[in-house]
Amino acid sequence: MDREQLKLDIKVQIIKYLNLLDYNPEDIKDDMPLFGDKGLELDSIDSLELIVMLEREYNIKINNPADGRKILKDINNMADYIIEVNYKNK
Amino acid sequence: MFIKDTIAISPQNTYNNDIFSSTIKQLYGNKFLAIEPEYTGIIKPNQLRRMGRSLRMGIGCALPLLRNYCNVDGIIIGSSEGGLEDCIKFLNQIKDYEEGMLTPTNFVQSTPNALAGQLALLTSNNSYNTTHVHKGLAFENALIDAKILLLENKVKRLLVGGVEEISNYNFNIEKSAGQFKDKECSSSQLIYSNTKGTVCGEGSTMFILESLTGNNNIKINDIQTITFPTEEELHNTAINILKRNNLKIDHIDILIFGMNGDIRSDYFYYRMMEQLFVNQSVLMYKNLVGEYPTSSAFALYLAYNILLKQYVPKDIIFRQEAKLKYNNILIYNHYKGIQHSFILVTKENC
Repeated sequence: MDREQLKLDIKVQIIKYLNLLDYNPEDIKDDMPLFGDKGLELDSIDSLELIVMLEREYNIKINNPADGRKILKDINNMADYIIEVNYKNK
Repeated sequence: MFIKDTIAISPQNTYNNDIFSSTIKQLYGNKFLAIEPEYTGIIKPNQLRRMGRSLRMGIGCALPLLRNYCNVDGIIIGSSEGGLEDCIKFLNQIKDYEEGMLTPTNFVQSTPNALAGQLALLTSNNSYNTTHVHKGLAFENALIDAKILLLENKVKRLLVGGVEEISNYNFNIEKSAGQFKDKECSSSQLIYSNTKGTVCGEGSTMFILESLTGNNNIKINDIQTITFPTEEELHNTAINILKRNNLKIDHIDILIFGMNGDIRSDYFYYRMMEQLFVNQSVLMYKNLVGEYPTSSAFALYLAYNILLKQYVPKDIIFRQEAKLKYNNILIYNHYKGIQHSFILVTKENC
């Protein structure tokens, strides 16, 4: 899966896992902040859902909470991290 | 304790319309699903997306009441199953993902006390907060809890309600066990179907209860529950509840009975109306909302509105006796023929 395809897939999974009924994948911009007052405005429970999503859908575990903050910043960071981990595991 | 106000979400148009002035909705099938309102303006979209049906319906009814009646001294909910769909999803995930990482939302939202907790959080209410989960007597026990608190003068105003949702998983299990009818059924034929099983219903009904009389003087005089009674014990319980409230059988103007169309257990109602209450109008309500453990909350909603408006919709009349004025209503309901309850509701004259 190339980077653009992966980003689209992440958006679809986020909508499914977080039940974001008002959103389509194209509504979520690659650099849109996932947390905080701007962007998707997700909260701490959502971050747990995203960690479960990464493990189930992409077989990636985030063990260090500090890493999670960086990885779950936006779609670009999530895609980069998934590609990086998959490259290391090859 | 007096009923100050009530809101219901049910398979009927009870939320935005008054079923006492509009036509009753005819239903068909073996699940009578609640008509959910548009929650915009009641629940924030970010919170709404996580909520299952029971939470949405419960909050949809309770929040407008809590906003209208400030200073509620307690939140008491009766719910046999809570967020059943989320609960079963969570249990399935444990199996599907071999007890690995699980999503928190399904778990958090699935417990029966999630509703009372969410209401407290949403309204910053840190007073008494309890959920009763005694299956078919969950709502009655919430009422008894409220009555004790109000009698002890510990509180002045309470939010009390019952909520239940249909879960497809649980429906299939209960249907296999014979709880629901094999064939689909219309609401107008349900009570007269003369077959085994009933139809599955759901809904949320919330009340503001106060110790002091309000404008409408409608009072919940008494609540009595009994489990596994013989018919004699059941009839004695009905007589005793009247006696201790200084009422005779003839003082009861209307009976609201919980017939659900299941020939295996509806005889409790028929024998009571043939042997004990022979001159009273008998109303039914499960043809409107189906069967669920806290359906007696909807019966209380009907009793409140009948006493308030002094009018009975024709679709709920099972047996009619002429009365000029309605003052006393006795609700009798049982769940699966095991858990029985009586609620006595009175319009006090000024």
